[in-house]
Amino acid sequence: MNDIVLKAEALTKTYTSAERQLTVLDEVSFEVAQGNTLSIIGPSGSGKTTLLGLCAGLDVPSSGIISLMGLKLNAMSEDDRAYVRNQYVGFVFQNFQLLQTLTALENVMVPLELRGEKNITVKAQHLLDRVGLGGRFNHYPSQLSGGEQQRVALARAFITSPKILFADEPTGNLDGENAALIEELLFGMNREEKTTLVLVTHNLELAAKTERVLRMKGGKLVEDSITALP
Amino acid sequence: MIEYRIKVARPLKNIFTDAWVWRMALRDARHNFSRLFLFAASLITGIAAVVAIGSINYSIQRDLDKNAKELLGADLVINSSKKIDSNLLKLLDSTNTEKAFDADMASMVLFLHNQQSRLIKLTALKGNFPFYGKLETKPANAYALMKSGKFALLDESLATQYEVSTNDSIKVGNTIFKVAGVVTKIPGGGGFTSTISPSVYISMDVLDSTGLVQFGSRVGYSLYLKTKEADTQAIIDKLEPTLKKLNYTFETVKSRKEGLGDALKSVYQFFALLAFMALLLGCIGVASAVHIYAKEKREEVALLRCIGSSGWQAFNIYFIQVFCVGLLGSAIGSALGIAIQQVIPIVFNDFIPAQLQFSLSWEALLEGLLLGSIISVLFTILPLISVRFVPPLSTLRAEVKQVKVVSKTRMVAILLIVLFPVLAAAYQTQSIVTGALFSIGLAVVLAGLYGIGALLLYLSRRFFPHHAAFTFRHALSNLFRPNNQTRVLVVAIGLGAFILATLNIIQNSLLNQVEFQGGKNQSNTILFDIQPKQKEGVLQLIKGTGLPMNQVVPMVTCRLAEVKGKSVETILNDSTDKRPEWAVSREYRVTYRDSLTKPETLLEGKLQRFEKGQKDSVFVTISEAMHETLEVNLGDSLVFDIQGVPIKTFISGIRKVEWSSDPPNFIFVFPSGVLENAPQIWVATTRIEDAVVSSKFQQQLVTRFSNVSLVDLRLILNTVNKLFSKVAVAIRFLSMFSIITGMIVLAGTVSNSKFVRMKEYVLLRTIGARTKQISAITLIEYAYLGFFAAMAGVVLSLGAGWLLTFFFFKIQFSVNAAELLLVTLGVISLTVVIGWLNSRSVISTPPLQVLRKEA
Ligand SMILES: Nc1ncnc2c1ncn2[C@@H]1O[C@H](COP(=O)(O)OP(=O)(O)OP(=O)(O)O)[C@@H](O)[C@H]1O
Ligand SMILES: [Mg+2]
Repeated sequence: MNDIVLKAEALTKTYTSAERQLTVLDEVSFEVAQGNTLSIIGPSGSGKTTLLGLCAGLDVPSSGIISLMGLKLNAMSEDDRAYVRNQYVGFVFQNFQLLQTLTALENVMVPLELRGEKNITVKAQHLLDRVGLGGRFNHYPSQLSGGEQQRVALARAFITSPKILFADEPTGNLDGENAALIEELLFGMNREEKTTLVLVTHNLELAAKTERVLRMKGGKLVEDSITALP
Repeated sequence: MIEYRIKVARPLKNIFTDAWVWRMALRDARHNFSRLFLFAASLITGIAAVVAIGSINYSIQRDLDKNAKELLGADLVINSSKKIDSNLLKLLDSTNTEKAFDADMASMVLFLHNQQSRLIKLTALKGNFPFYGKLETKPANAYALMKSGKFALLDESLATQYEVSTNDSIKVGNTIFKVAGVVTKIPGGGGFTSTISPSVYISMDVLDSTGLVQFGSRVGYSLYLKTKEADTQAIIDKLEPTLKKLNYTFETVKSRKEGLGDALKSVYQFFALLAFMALLLGCIGVASAVHIYAKEKREEVALLRCIGSSGWQAFNIYFIQVFCVGLLGSAIGSALGIAIQQVIPIVFNDFIPAQLQFSLSWEALLEGLLLGSIISVLFTILPLISVRFVPPLSTLRAEVKQVKVVSKTRMVAILLIVLFPVLAAAYQTQSIVTGALFSIGLAVVLAGLYGIGALLLYLSRRFFPHHAAFTFRHALSNLFRPNNQTRVLVVAIGLGAFILATLNIIQNSLLNQVEFQGGKNQSNTILFDIQPKQKEGVLQLIKGTGLPMNQVVPMVTCRLAEVKGKSVETILNDSTDKRPEWAVSREYRVTYRDSLTKPETLLEGKLQRFEKGQKDSVFVTISEAMHETLEVNLGDSLVFDIQGVPIKTFISGIRKVEWSSDPPNFIFVFPSGVLENAPQIWVATTRIEDAVVSSKFQQQLVTRFSNVSLVDLRLILNTVNKLFSKVAVAIRFLSMFSIITGMIVLAGTVSNSKFVRMKEYVLLRTIGARTKQISAITLIEYAYLGFFAAMAGVVLSLGAGWLLTFFFFKIQFSVNAAELLLVTLGVISLTVVIGWLNSRSVISTPPLQVLRKEA
C-alpha cells in the first residue's frame, strides 16, 4: 500500500456556466504505484488536462478524493498544495513555461531554491549538461530554441528528484527531431531517477512507451490497459 | 477506509527571512529596471513639490521665531485713529520705554519731473523707528536725510513705476519734497502691501506743513514702544484700561507673529495642497502601472506556484521590487525638492515678508521619505495583491478565470487608500476638516475627469470615423488596445489641464469684473475728502474739464453709542452677546438723502423723511448684511455719536446693496434735514475715458485741492491684474508639477505597453506599412490622447470655474476662448512630444526580436 504514489477516487469535476452544468470528469478512479509510467490518452476535450490538473493539486475536484504520497489534496490550502508540489512533484508543460527574466541555469535552480537548499549550482549545471545545454547556462529563454527551452524545463523538473512527474503534451509544440530528443531525455532521466511518470498525450506512439495507458472519453475513464513493452 | 494525512509541515517564512524572494526580485528586476523606475518616477515630482513647500514652511516658521521682533520693529505698537492721547504718553513717562511715532493716511502725490500723480499711503515717522531690524534704503543714508527736513522716501516699486530718482521732487499736499531715496526693506512692510498701496515716507515734523491733516481726513496714528523684555507685559497691563477707554488697539511681537503666522499658514496650506495634488496624481500613476505589471506577471506567478511557491512568496517578489524603486523615487524626489527650494523664493517672493530667509529643513526631507515609503506600500499592495491568488492551473490552461477573492489584506488596503489623502492632507494643513474637504473635492474632480474622459472615449468609439484615413483610424483604435491605460492617462494629464484652465477662467472673470465696472456709464474715478468749502471749486473743475458729475455725496463720520437701548459699552462687556466687537465699536461713515441709488433696493420698510417738529424721530435705513450682523430690525432704536453729539434714530428700512457697483455705498443712510450741520466731507464720482485727460485732471486737482484724494479705478484694475499675475505665477509653477507627473505617468505607460506596441508595429510592417506611416500612427495616437485629456480638463474647468465665480467670488463668469485653446494645444503638444520620445525605440526595434519573444 505504501508504494501507491497517486490515488484518485471517484474524481468528478463539473463546471457551472450560465445555466448549464458541464461534467468534464465523471467518477474517475485509479491509482499509480511508485516508479510506474503511465500515459493518459483520449480525444480532444475528453478531460485529460483536467485530470492532470487535479492529480497535481493545481485544481480541486467537485467531488471525489485525490491523494498524493498519502496526502489528501482536497482539504489542503492552496499554499499547502504548492508546498507538496515542491516536495514531490515535477512538471513539464507543452509550452515550456520558463521564467523569461531568468537565465537557463537560474530557471533550473528555482525549485531547489524554494526549498531553501544551498550549494545547488553544481547540481543544476550537471543537469543542464545532461540535457545537452552545457555551454548555455547564462542564456535567457528568448535566446534558446523551442527544443532547447523544453530541455531546460526537463532539467528543472528533475532537479528536485521528484516522486512523480506530470507532463502535458511535452512534445506538442516541437517538430519531429526535437520531439524525439525530448522523448529520449524524458524516459532516460525518468529511468535514472526512478520517477513515477504521468504523461498526457495525443501521440499513441509516445503513449505506447509507458507501462500503462489510461484512455479517456467524454470525461470517463474508458480503458486502463497494460502496454506490452518491448 | 484509508487514513489520509492532510497536514503538512510547511515552514513559514516572512519577507525578511526569505532570502529566495529577494534573490528572485533582484533577478527579475534586471530586465525590468527601466520600466520599474518609471513607476517610481511618477512619485518624484510630487514628492519634490511637497518637500519643497514643506521645507519652505519649516524654515519660515523657524525664521519667524528667530526674527519676530524685526517684523514689528518694536516690542509694542499702539494704534489709534486719533492723535496719541497726552494722558497715555504721561502714563508712559514713568516707565522705562523708548518711543517712536508714525501717522499714515491716504494722499495724492504729484511727481514734478513728469507731472503724473497718484494716490499713495503717506507715512510720517518720528523717533528711532525701527527699534529692531533695519529700515534699509538706497542710498544707505537716505533715512537720516529724510529726518532732516523736507525730504521723502519712496517705496521701491513706486519709484520704479514713475521713474523717480534721487533728487527729483514730489509734491504732497501743499509741500514740495526732495526725494532722498527708496525704501528697500522696512519692518512690517514688503510683500503684497507695497503692491496694493505704495508708501511715501516723510518726517513727522513736516507733516503739518502739507496741510493734509484737517477735519475729515482719515489718519492712522501709531506709537512704537521699545521696552525691556520683561516689562512688556507689565506695561500692557498698566496701559490696557486707558487703551480700552480711548478705543485704541495694540499689537505685540507675539500677536504680530501669530497674525503673520496665520496668514502665511493659509498661503502655505493652499500651495501645500496644490503640491499634494501632484503627489496623488503620481500615486494613481504608480497604482495603475503596478496593476498592469501584476497582470503581465500572472504567467510567471502561475509557474512559480506550480513548482511550489506560496501566494505570499510570489507577492513578495514583486512587492520588493516596486517598494524599492518607490523608495528610490522618494529619495530622488526629496533631494530634488530641496534643490527646488532654492528656486522657489523667486516665485514666491510676494507672499513672504522680506525679513524672512530660507534654509534647508531636515524635517521636510524626512517627511518626504516617509511619505514616499507609505505611498510605495499603500498604492502598490492593492494592485499587487491579486498576484497571491493567481491559480496555478493557468499553466495548463491559458484562460483560467481568476476568482475574485475577498482577502483581508485587500480590504485593509482599500480602507487605507481611501483614508490616505484625507489624513495626509489633514497633516499637511493641520486640519482634519480641510483634509476631508480637499479629499472630497479632489475625488469629485478626479471622478469628473474620469467621467468626461470615459464619455469622450465612448463617443469616439460610438461614432468611429470609419471613413477616415488608415493612419487616423488605426491611431484611434490603438487607444483601446487590451490593457490600455487610456483613462488613467486622461485623468493624469487632464488634471494638469484642469488646474491651468480653471486658473485662467478665474483670472479672466476677476479682471472682467473690474473692467465691467469701469465700463458702461459707471464712474471710474472717485474723489474723496472734499472739504465743504472746496465742494464748489471741485465741482467746477469737474465741469470745466467736461466730465460728467455722477455722484456728489456728503459723508459724516460717527460711531454707535447705543443699540436697541443697550449702550455699546454694555454690549462689549457682555460676553454672552454674540455680536462681533468690530461691528459695534467701529467708525461708520454715513450719508443723508431721501432716495435710493441705483445699486440699492429696499427689502423691507420704507424711506421716511425727517419732519421738523417731531423732534426725536429720525428714521434711518440699514444695509441687509449689517442688519443681520447687529441683529437689529425695523423699528429698533440706534443712538449714533456724531462727533460728540448723540442722535437717537429708528430703523425704518432695510436695503440690499450691490456694493461693488457705482461706489460710494453706505451701511446707514440718514434722511436729509438732520446731519446738514454736522462736520462732514464730500465725495464726488465721475467718469474719465481718456488717460491723458485723466492725468491732466489729476494734476490740476492736486495743485488746487491738495488734500483731495482721487481713486482711479483703472489703477485698481492694474493693481488687481498685477496681484493676480503674481499669484498666478506661483500657482502655475506648482501646477506644472502635476503636468510633469502626468507626463511621467504617460512615459511609464508607453514603456508598460512597449511589447504590445512592438507586436502591433511588426504586424503592421508585415502587412506592408512603411516606417513613416507607423510614425504617423504613433503621433496621431498621442495627439488623440492629449486632446481627450485636455478636453476633459477644460470642460471640467468650465464647470468648476462657473461654480467658483458664482458661489465663491460672486462675480460674473467670463471665459477667454483663445487662452483656453492655447492651454488645450499646449497639453496636446506636450503629450505628443513625450509619447513620441518614449516610442522611438519601439518603432525602431527589428521585427525578428519580437517574434522570438513570442515563442
Ligand atoms: N473553466 C472551464 N469552464 C467550463 N468548461 C471547461 C473549463 N475548463 C475546461 N472545460 C471543458 O472541459 C473539457 C475538458 O477539457 P480538457 O482541457 O481537460 O480536455 P483535454 O482532454 O485536455 O483536451 P485537449 O486534448 O484538447 O488538450 C472541455 O470540453 C473544456 O471545454
Ligand atoms: Mg489538454
